[in-house]
Amino acid sequence: MPSTPPEASACRIDIAGLSKTFLADGRDVVAVDDVSFRINDGEFVALLGPSGCGKSTILNMVATLIAPNGGSIKVDSQPVVPGKPMRQVGYVFQKDTLFPWRTVEGNIGYALELAKVPTAERKGRVAEAIHLAGLDGFGHFYPASLSGGMRQRVSLMRTLIARPEILLMDEPFGALDTHTKLDMHSVLLSLWERTRQTVLFVTHDLGEALTLADRIILLSARPGRLKNDFKIDFPRPRNAVQLRETKQYADLFQKIWHSLGEEFTKSRAT
Amino acid sequence: MKRAWTLFWQVTFGLSLLAIWQWGWDLKARLPWLVPEILDPYFVSKPSLIFQHFLQMGCLVSYDGHWTFATEGGFAKCIGKSENNLWIATYVTLKNTLWGFAIGVSLGFTMGLLLGRSDRLSEIFYPYINAFNSIPRIALAPIIILACGIGDTSKIVTAVLVVVFLVFFNTFEGARAVDRDHINAARLLGAGEWQVTRTVIVPSAMAWLFASLSPAISFSLIGVIVGEFIGAEHGIGRMIIEAEARGESAGMMVAVFVLMIVGVILTTLVRRLQSYLLRWRPANVSTA
Repeated sequence: MPSTPPEASACRIDIAGLSKTFLADGRDVVAVDDVSFRINDGEFVALLGPSGCGKSTILNMVATLIAPNGGSIKVDSQPVVPGKPMRQVGYVFQKDTLFPWRTVEGNIGYALELAKVPTAERKGRVAEAIHLAGLDGFGHFYPASLSGGMRQRVSLMRTLIARPEILLMDEPFGALDTHTKLDMHSVLLSLWERTRQTVLFVTHDLGEALTLADRIILLSARPGRLKNDFKIDFPRPRNAVQLRETKQYADLFQKIWHSLGEEFTKSRAT
Repeated sequence: MKRAWTLFWQVTFGLSLLAIWQWGWDLKARLPWLVPEILDPYFVSKPSLIFQHFLQMGCLVSYDGHWTFATEGGFAKCIGKSENNLWIATYVTLKNTLWGFAIGVSLGFTMGLLLGRSDRLSEIFYPYINAFNSIPRIALAPIIILACGIGDTSKIVTAVLVVVFLVFFNTFEGARAVDRDHINAARLLGAGEWQVTRTVIVPSAMAWLFASLSPAISFSLIGVIVGEFIGAEHGIGRMIIEAEARGESAGMMVAVFVLMIVGVILTTLVRRLQSYLLRWRPANVSTA
């Protein structure tokens, strides 16, 4: 084992000078412009910004789904290679990407099947995941017969079962209604507070970011630049519902809301 | 109640058709303007004659009019005597249809998957497949008989040729229409190239394949029958040709009815299989 300085080992995601330009209608559109930030081990970071600010683009570049035009991304000090997903990284989509031909069990156990985990162990872990997601009794259901919230819980467990140390989440609850969303926040908080993976969570919902994250990175309207970096130090374990009634929450909400509001106005103007 | 009425009208309609077929021609002498020429028993026979022929061709009744099961070993003797009785013919036709179906589906699926997932292969071969597909496959049947003889092989080859393109085009489209996000999800969950193919592309394309199964089984039966028309020793198609040579419309009708029954059974089974295999589809899933 090569010895690494403690500082370097604590940093899981290191993004420096990241840029991305898309071609749209024959014109170059700058989606992400010179963004740099670092995420330390065990941190839950929300990437917040108005729609179209390039936050999903940043996430997808970290996930190796999109190649950047400039700058560098390092995960655990290793440069990220587009098209080569890293073992320790898990990804949760906004869109429903469950395999419709697999049951709930089949979807959740998918990563373990790929990794050729012995059947007995796989079944045990799948059953545990189903229980943790509150899906007991739904193991043999196909995704088509589940509600949106249930499907997203299956999605979450499908990624978490491989025990990724770094979790990338692209507005995973964006398509859910308010109550289901709150419910999902509780599920995610209780799961995450046990395991404390490093999380990069993309959202345009300030309430969601405040509820879940340790840190909120605020991006400007297009082109996406780093605008602010807020520390969210609400004590854990958090209660997704009660937290919203506290004064600290209201104060911080107002402070960030103002900053975010400027960007929403800008994104409307363009 | 609605079901009962539907059943009532279905039975009434069927019985009326049978009655017209059976007794319609008898009215010809009195009401010539009412009865169409098509009812001439010389061409279409009559239900009673067809039933009688069915009993004889099926060896249930011997040609001198006795039930074969009434005498010890009568049925077996009759079967042994007539070369191309109904049972052997049905067995041969059914067997060749199923082989043609199985081989055609496997071949079409493999080809569709290969070409659908490889731009290179599809660019090279697509024009040839298109050109070949434009040949009415039935036109090849005489060539196939010439090449493979009048045995089972030529029937199976004809059926395969009819089935394979149908399945190929469906699978090809299916392999191209695989959801990009499903592939990405699989990759991010740790799937390698081969695992993506096996766990995402094949199941996605299967959904399209299954949709082509029920036309495929009908096509396979058509292929076999045409093959039998042109040259065969056994089979229902062969029976039709023999009855035609004897000018025996009742015999032809028996063969056609057996084909109808075989067709209904085959398509029903394939539909069952299809809806079982596609049970994960939204339309097939009962909401909890």
